[in-house]
Amino acid sequence: MTMGRLGNAQPTEVIDRGAKLSFRWNGKRFGGFEGDTIASALAAAGEQVFSRSMKYHRPRGILTADYWDPNLLVQVGDDPNVRAGHRRLEAGMEVSAQNVWPSLRRDIKAANGLVGRFLTAGFYYKTFMRPARLWPAYERVLATFAPGGKIDLDTPHRYHDKRYMHPDVVVAGAGPAGIEAALAASADGARVLLVEHEHAVGGHLRYDSRDTAVAALAELRAALDASDVEVLTDSTVTGRYEDNWLGIVQRSHPVAVERLIKARAKTLVVAPGLIERPYVFAGNDRPGVITSTAARRLINLWGVKPGERAVVFTANADGDAAAADLDRAGVEIAAVIDGRQGHRVSSTQGSPRAVEAVVSGGNRIEADLLVVAAGWTAPTSLLNMAGDRPVYDPPAARFFAADPPGNVLATGGLAGDGTLDELRAHGAATGRLAAQRAAAVAHRLQALTARAQPVGGEEPPWAPDDRIPLGRDPHPELYRSDTHGMVDFSEDVGSKDLMAAAGEGYDSVELAKRYTTATMGPSQGKLETVNTVAAIAEARGETIAAVGTTVWRPPYAPLTLGALAGRGFEPVRVSSIQPWHEANGVHTILAGQWIRPDHYGDPAAEVRNVRSNVGLIDVTPLGKLDLRGPDVAKLLNLLYTNKWSKLPVGKVRYGMMCAEDGVVLDDGVTGRLGDEHYLMTTTSSGAGGVWEWVENWLQTERPDWRVHVTPVTTAYTSINVAGPKARELVSRVTDGVDLSPEAFAYMEVRTATVAGVAGCFMWRIGFTGELSFEIHVPAGCGLHVWEALMDAGDDLGVGPFGLEGQRIMRLEKGHFIVGQDTDGLTLGPSTGLGPLIKLDKDDFAGKPELAWAVGRPLPMIVAIQPDDPNIVPAEASQIVAGDTNQILGRITSSRMSPTLGRSICLGQVEPELAAGGTKLTVLLTTGERVGATVMDHHAHFDPTGERLRG
Amino acid sequence: MLLVPCPYCGPRNSVDLRYGGESQPRPDPATATPEQWRGYLYRRDNPADWLRENWYCRSGCRRWFTVERNTATNEFRHPPMPGDKRGGKA
Amino acid sequence: MAESPAFESPVVRSYDTASDGALTLADASATVKWLVRASADGAVAGRLGAPFGSSRAAAGGALVLGSRPGEWIVLGEAGAVAEEVDGIDGLDPSDLVTALDWTHGRALFRVTGPEASAMLEKVCSLDWSDPMTPDGAVASASVAKVTCDLARNDLDGVPSYLIFCDRSFGQYLFDALIDAGNEFGLCVGPGGL
Repeated sequence: MTMGRLGNAQPTEVIDRGAKLSFRWNGKRFGGFEGDTIASALAAAGEQVFSRSMKYHRPRGILTADYWDPNLLVQVGDDPNVRAGHRRLEAGMEVSAQNVWPSLRRDIKAANGLVGRFLTAGFYYKTFMRPARLWPAYERVLATFAPGGKIDLDTPHRYHDKRYMHPDVVVAGAGPAGIEAALAASADGARVLLVEHEHAVGGHLRYDSRDTAVAALAELRAALDASDVEVLTDSTVTGRYEDNWLGIVQRSHPVAVERLIKARAKTLVVAPGLIERPYVFAGNDRPGVITSTAARRLINLWGVKPGERAVVFTANADGDAAAADLDRAGVEIAAVIDGRQGHRVSSTQGSPRAVEAVVSGGNRIEADLLVVAAGWTAPTSLLNMAGDRPVYDPPAARFFAADPPGNVLATGGLAGDGTLDELRAHGAATGRLAAQRAAAVAHRLQALTARAQPVGGEEPPWAPDDRIPLGRDPHPELYRSDTHGMVDFSEDVGSKDLMAAAGEGYDSVELAKRYTTATMGPSQGKLETVNTVAAIAEARGETIAAVGTTVWRPPYAPLTLGALAGRGFEPVRVSSIQPWHEANGVHTILAGQWIRPDHYGDPAAEVRNVRSNVGLIDVTPLGKLDLRGPDVAKLLNLLYTNKWSKLPVGKVRYGMMCAEDGVVLDDGVTGRLGDEHYLMTTTSSGAGGVWEWVENWLQTERPDWRVHVTPVTTAYTSINVAGPKARELVSRVTDGVDLSPEAFAYMEVRTATVAGVAGCFMWRIGFTGELSFEIHVPAGCGLHVWEALMDAGDDLGVGPFGLEGQRIMRLEKGHFIVGQDTDGLTLGPSTGLGPLIKLDKDDFAGKPELAWAVGRPLPMIVAIQPDDPNIVPAEASQIVAGDTNQILGRITSSRMSPTLGRSICLGQVEPELAAGGTKLTVLLTTGERVGATVMDHHAHFDPTGERLRG
Repeated sequence: MLLVPCPYCGPRNSVDLRYGGESQPRPDPATATPEQWRGYLYRRDNPADWLRENWYCRSGCRRWFTVERNTATNEFRHPPMPGDKRGGKA
Repeated sequence: MAESPAFESPVVRSYDTASDGALTLADASATVKWLVRASADGAVAGRLGAPFGSSRAAAGGALVLGSRPGEWIVLGEAGAVAEEVDGIDGLDPSDLVTALDWTHGRALFRVTGPEASAMLEKVCSLDWSDPMTPDGAVASASVAKVTCDLARNDLDGVPSYLIFCDRSFGQYLFDALIDAGNEFGLCVGPGGL
């Protein structure tokens, strides 16, 4: 068949014949006009074959000439799977066919067609299975046959983003009914968003050449321009979720490649029109077989003559109109086959450049174009997503909405048929109804929202739906002719495959879909669902209504991963000292959302420096909660396992928290700053969780307690000064506090002015096991204090240390870390802190389970040293029974100790192994088994804690 | 995405809140048997029906509250919205 | 020792942006901010005069935000804030009142311009329309995945929004706001409220 550009400008065309664009197709230069799609430009240049089908590599040409055309997926530059029937032509585009080798013309994979009987539906469940040892080879072979374009891993990231919207009414689809709905809703005062899949509004009016249609389109466009309706073209409402939460993919944004809009619409109007359905017959996928809307688009939008001599198979008025358009474009009409009279097309035969149609009665008609108008499919997806199960109406031969929820309204073809005026009137009535109901929702939302303007008046009543329903035109049920043909063009699934699947027992439509992959390709059912259902119904001898459809799920139109990712927000947190760290060679680690110093080049040297001189570590992420009120002590008694009623002002105590199941939740120190003022610390990773835990208790179980808990984790920069020279260093920068050991003992807290910064507080605690002062500085001055300490300690050998050094030192002291040495099953007593669990207290979190655990042997956390001091087992290495694989515990923390010159560990072991001196077998990740010994104390170094208390 | 009716803020997207699960009274820890206590910790009725449940408005007012939701239709009883599953009968 | 050192904002890096334009972003993190907690319907609540979701410009120049039921943020010049906050814990002995200096714990940014809400629509799911978020409205929501307190505080009739976040997210959020605002020609303006 030969396509070509019509010489005369068509009244409805969208191309600008004065603006020529040059591009390449499979390496060869072509020309088109501004306004062409890639496919229309190629068609105008006479191209017929655009792709090869997925399995059999049959040559394919234009079928629908729009977004849903399954034969028009091409590669444009580094963009795979571009829909050439929709993508607008741009100058310099490099377009190529996909899934062909060596070329579109001589695609060797077309040999698949010869072995077609082995490639029936479900072939991958039956072939390439044995022998299993050849699977890697099968995979390589199959990969080269996989459809889809090429991805260039070096493609630069482009800008995608998101936007939230709160329109009153969203109208999905800007055909005549949709536009009228938008205008009417806007006139009623609603904020309206009108979303149109195509590049311009108008729906089917755009390619209707009749005077009345052209005039109506102009009128509707002018009204839209004059209104306040926000219009998005080349955009699709792609998902409808609970409470009218909508996903809208905007492909036409000036800045973003694709933008995902998340809109909370008060009402949704669904006006997507109807999609023309292909007819199933032998040879229905041959280039030259097109739908009637494809013919009308080609002629009326892009001035493309689809062929020289056509056979038109028509069963409705739109097919008749297509015949008229073809005639007007100078195409010879060889025959009109009327489906309403019971005539059919049986098959096509012939070479690529000719289409010989065989029609009912056996007549053969020579042509180069077969135009098919067999019927319409209602794209009910958005209604389905709203919970509606549309119902099939046999006299009208399509599905209609059944009972969508009151905030989702269908109009246009989804609701019925009628004259243009009737469709417009229904659209307008729908828009008014949508606006009225949206007003009721808006009133309610405003009335309920604390920050909103007070809303006046009564809530508007929920308007009843008294729209005059549209009629339903009768239409013959034309799904399959008297031969078998292609049903799913993208997946190469034919009616014969579907009926065979039903015969094999896959006779429910959901099973048949998954077994054959019908409707699972790029057109996602738009063109093939109803034909699939019809084939299954035929195989089962049942009606289409009885078989039903598969469930439509979002997205209705595809969106890129880029749009889903948007800007890729990943919040990170840093302390005020971060600029100093960065300037001083820090190696950072990401801990949750925090960027933390791990070390500054040599963690072992950092450890040695702290133990000999003095070091500073930035521990700002340490969770800090400010507790105030007369009932704080009660709260502490509830949260911790130990007793807090008698903590004097100025003292600090360690506490362990358990959850209601007795499992260790968190730990930390809490200090009393005043009569009714305490500061609690938590682990860094537990900070947020513990705050929510506390709020839960206070709000839901103890609402009468008078306590205020405020997180101040980042209000203070926290600096731990540790080492034998720590007191000397701190005293050089501190005012107002006597730091001598007699005046300021271990586990006490003071407020002070440090480096001129008032309002600091400091306490003596000892995670690292060295003499240490932890200083909490108002964060805006944190960097200043850190730098002052660094300057003041130069002659003392002060240096920074990071998390890695801190972890080594705490391990040397045997201090467990919640979440590292404990897990989701570790009960309180397993930590060895049994004496801190005061069961004679009143109710506290975890008490019942902790009480019931008394006397029960539990796995225990113990200190472990491998017999070979140079072996550092990987954390999580299993502890096993001799040469067997019976697991008796695991290593939870493990490091080489620079202080002791040997490896040290903490681990969990079964209760019978917990005694000091017990010999263990550790299974390394290399498979080797090595010996280790349980130590008497958790601390490998300075077990009596002399350094701490100095 | 579900609109959850926070009684303080007003209706909010469900991602702004944390689901606290079926509302269960806490047994008296002094008198509860292990079966009762572990029922409180782990067992839920999970009906396909109206359910009392807790939500925490974590991105908003940071208040815990209890509402009733129908787990089959996602309607809330406190307060109902126009246009919900029952075809718009408020 | 020497005089008290200056407050350092968490925003340590800024960017070249457009130099004059209708949409501006300002870092006001140094602004004095106090957090007050008391019962939502007691004497303190009455004096602060900003029920949850609303705000009030105090006579002394401070801004009082009703950020949560029973929780307020008072911000402004040090003296103006002190005027509002001093003595409130004595107002009602039967009520537990906490007032703490939150200046260091929160980063604060101001976004001003006719397209401010269009920019915020890209990073925050609140309904920014006038009826739902009028001048004076206060709410809390996720902005670019960080939970923030938000207040609409128009300047001379021009829409303007205050955004508070945990200090440690300050640089990240500042960067995210500039990213969202680039489309509208956002400029970084001088710091301050």
